Amino acid sequence: MLGRVLLRALRVVSLVVAVVVGSFWLMSASPVDPVQAYVGADAASIGSEQREQIAERWGLNDPPLERFAAWAGNVFTGDLGQSQIYGEPVVVVLADRAAASLALMTTAWVLSGVFGFAMGLLAGMRAGTWVDRALSWWAYLLASAPTFWVGLLLLYVFSVALGWTPVGGAVPTGTLPGEASLLERVHHLLLPAATLSLIGVAPVLLHTRQAVVEVMASDYVAFARSQGEQPFGLVLHRVLRNAAAPAVVLQFASIGELFGGSLLAEQVFTYPGLGEATTQAALRQDVPLLLGIAMVTALIVLTGNAFGRVVHHAVDPRASVLA
Amino acid sequence: MRLTSGVVGLVAALVASATFAACGGETAESGQKTGEQPTELRLAIGGESEEGYDPTLGWGRYGSPLFQSTLLRRDANLEVVGDLATDWSVSEDGLTWTVELRDDAYFSDGEQLTAEDVAYTFTTAAEQGGLTDVTALGKAVAVDEDTVEMTLTEPRSTFVNRLVSLGIVPKHAHGEDYAGQPVGSGPFIFVDWQRGQQLIVERNDDYYGDLPAFERVVFSFADEDGALAAARAGDVAMAGLPSTLATTDVEGMDWTVVESVDNRGIMFPTVPDTGELTEDGLPIGNDVTADVDLRRAVNVAIDREALVEAILEGYGSPAVGPADATPWANTEAGVTDADPQGAGEMLEEAGWVDEDRDGVRERDGVRASFPLLYPADDSLRQGLALAVADMVELAGIEIQPEGVSWEEIDRRMHTDAVLFGWGSHDPTEMYNLYHSSLAGTEYFNAGYYANGVVDGHLDAAMAATDEATANEEWRAAQLDAAGEGFTAGADASWAWLVNLEHTYLTDECLDVGTPQVEPHGHGWPITANITEWEWAC
Repeated sequence: MLGRVLLRALRVVSLVVAVVVGSFWLMSASPVDPVQAYVGADAASIGSEQREQIAERWGLNDPPLERFAAWAGNVFTGDLGQSQIYGEPVVVVLADRAAASLALMTTAWVLSGVFGFAMGLLAGMRAGTWVDRALSWWAYLLASAPTFWVGLLLLYVFSVALGWTPVGGAVPTGTLPGEASLLERVHHLLLPAATLSLIGVAPVLLHTRQAVVEVMASDYVAFARSQGEQPFGLVLHRVLRNAAAPAVVLQFASIGELFGGSLLAEQVFTYPGLGEATTQAALRQDVPLLLGIAMVTALIVLTGNAFGRVVHHAVDPRASVLA
Repeated sequence: MRLTSGVVGLVAALVASATFAACGGETAESGQKTGEQPTELRLAIGGESEEGYDPTLGWGRYGSPLFQSTLLRRDANLEVVGDLATDWSVSEDGLTWTVELRDDAYFSDGEQLTAEDVAYTFTTAAEQGGLTDVTALGKAVAVDEDTVEMTLTEPRSTFVNRLVSLGIVPKHAHGEDYAGQPVGSGPFIFVDWQRGQQLIVERNDDYYGDLPAFERVVFSFADEDGALAAARAGDVAMAGLPSTLATTDVEGMDWTVVESVDNRGIMFPTVPDTGELTEDGLPIGNDVTADVDLRRAVNVAIDREALVEAILEGYGSPAVGPADATPWANTEAGVTDADPQGAGEMLEEAGWVDEDRDGVRERDGVRASFPLLYPADDSLRQGLALAVADMVELAGIEIQPEGVSWEEIDRRMHTDAVLFGWGSHDPTEMYNLYHSSLAGTEYFNAGYYANGVVDGHLDAAMAATDEATANEEWRAAQLDAAGEGFTAGADASWAWLVNLEHTYLTDECLDVGTPQVEPHGHGWPITANITEWEWAC
C-alpha cells in the first residue's frame, strides 16, 4: 500500500517536472521576441541600446539552459522569480489572480456538475421522449458554442438590454476593494459563472445520459422493475450510484478545461483572473510567469484527478483509489 | 436529498442578489445622466500599464501621466511648451541642456520638487531597461535648487521628447514599490488600482496648474466589447472604440473623432537582389521595387481618398509622409495621385512595357510584380493591401497581397514590400525609418534605403540646437529645395497611404476641449488634456 502511494507521488512529481520542462522548451523554441512584444507600438522611439538594456534587465542574454537552471534552483527555495510583464514576484501575481479565478471557477464547476448530472439523469430516464431530445439538442448546441460568444450574448441580454447584471469587473466600477459588499461581489460573479457553467453542463449531461440508458437496460433494473419498484425509487436505489461514475470522473478531469473556459469568460467580463494573466504571459513571452502558471495548473489538475479517484471509489467501491 | 436542498438555497440566493443589485444598477446609471454636475468621471479607454505607474519604466510616455508632471509638454498642435520648466536652453555644441524649474511644485506627500529629483529621475530612467529611451544621456546634475544640467553623449535635438514625456519622480520616495503606489506632482493622486479591472484616482487639490473639473476619475480596463456594453448601459462617459464601430448609435452619446499620426504605408525594399545577406543570414533586395520609377508610379496610381472612404469609412486622411499633422511635416511633399494613366506613362518612359500583353509590364525580363506582406490578423491592413493591388493593376503593376505572421514578416521584410504602421510624437522615428545607418536594424529601415543628401538632413536635424532649425531639416529630409528627399515625388522609398482618425464614444455632456493629435495607439492618448475636460450640461 505504502509503496503504491509513493509510486503515485513520484508520478505526480515527474509529471509536473515534465510539464515545466516542456513549457520552457516550447517558449525557447517560439519565434516571438519578448523584447519586441514588450516594446510593441513604441518601436519607433526605442533604439537598439535601450532594447539591450531591457534584455539585460530580464536576463535574456544568458543561454537558455543556464536560465532554466537558475530558475529551477530558485523554485526549491520557494522563489518563482519575477514576472516580466507585471514587474512583481510571480507568487504575488498568482495569488492575486487565483483568488478571483477561484471563486468564479468553483461556482461554475459546482453549478455545471449539479445541473449537468440532474439533466443527464432526466434525459436518460426519459430516453427517446421529447424531453430527452430537447435536452440532448440543447447540450449539443452548447457544446458547439464558443464561450466568448455565449458570454457576449448573456452580456447583451442581461446587462445591456435588461440591466439586471453589471457589464463587467469583479466589483462595481469606481468602488475600492474594501467597499464592495459580498452581495455586490456575487452579483458581479453571476454572468461570468453562468457563462462558464452553461458551457460545462453539456459534456456531463451527455455522458450521464448515456450511463443512465445503459443502467436502465441492465438485468438488475429489469429485476427491480418486475418487483414493482417505482421510477423514483429506481433512480434513488439503482441508477444514481451506477450512473454517477462517468459524471464524477469527467467533472474532476474537466478542471483543466475550466481554466481555458475561464480565460475567455474573464476577457468578455473584464474579470481580473488567472486567464488574462495566462494570455498575456504567453503572448509576450513572460517565461517566469508562464512557468509558474503551468506548474500551478498541472498541480491543480493532478489534485483534481486524485480527488476524482477518491470520490469514484466512494461511489463505486469496485474502482480503485490508487492505480 | 441534502444535495438538492443546497442547490435550491444557492439558486434562491442568486435570484435574491440579482433583484437587489438590479435596483443598485439603476441608481448608478441615473447618477451619470441627471442634470447635476457629476463629481466622478468614468472612462473605458484602455491603456492599463501592466508594469504600474513608474515613469522611469515608461509610464506616461503619451497621454497624461496623471500622477506626475513633466518638465515640458506638447499643446494641441504638438508645439513644445513649459510645464515644470520655466525656461530651457541648449548649448552651442548641442551637448548641454539646462533647465530652470518652477518653485511652486510639490509632491502629493508635501515635499517640494527640486532639481535633485529631476536629476535623479533622468539618471534612473537612463539606467533602467524600460519603455523610455534615455540612452543619449551622459549625466544629469542639479546645479542648484531649481536648475538642472543634462549632458548628452552626442547632440540630439529629439532629446526634448524625453523632457516632454518623462514624469518626475520623488528621489525620497522612489523604490521597489513605487510603480504600485506612485507619488508625484501631477493633477491627480493615486487611490487604488485593481489590476486588469480599474484604476481610481482623485484630484490633487495642491496641483500647481489648472485644477481638473472632476474630483475623481475611474479608468475601467474593459476590452472593446466590454467598453461598448458599459457605454450602452450608461456606466461610463467615454469608450475608446475602433472606427469600424463608429456607425453604431448610442443614446445620449456622440462620437468624438480625433486626428492622429497613426499611419499606414507600404515599405519598399530599395536595393536590387545581389545575393547579399544580413548579419542573421536573411536575404536582402528586390529587383522590382529597387526601381525608383516603379515606386513613384505606385505612389501616383494609388487613390488615397478612395482608401479613406472605402476602408476607413471616412475616419482618416490621405497620407503624405510618416508624420503628417506634426510641426515637422512637409506639406509640400505630396504628389497628385489617383492617376493610373499617368503612372502608366511614367512606367512606359522608364522602359516598363507590357510586351506579352498579360496586363503586367516587364523590363529586361523582370515582371513588374511583387508581394505585399501584411499581418494576417489585421483586417484594416488587409483591406488596404487588397484595395491598393486593385488600384495599381490599372497601371500595369501586379501586387500580390499576402497575410502572414509577424515572424514571417521579420524574415521577409528586406526582400518584400510590407504594409507597416507607424506614427509618433517623436521625430526620431523619421530618423530611424530613413537613415542609412539603421538599414536592417529592428523594423526601422527594413528596405535598406540610402541617400547621402537625406542622411545629411537627418543628421543636421538631430544636431540642431533649436526646434525651428530641427523642424526645417526634418522637412528637408522629406523633400528639399533641390528636389531630393524620401517622399513620393523624389526617392519614393515608401508609399504612405492613410492617417487614421481615432474614435471615442463620448457622453454628449462631456466637453473634452481640443484633443491633441494622437500617436500610433488608440485610447490613453486622449487623456493628454484631461485637466481641461468638463461637464457641459
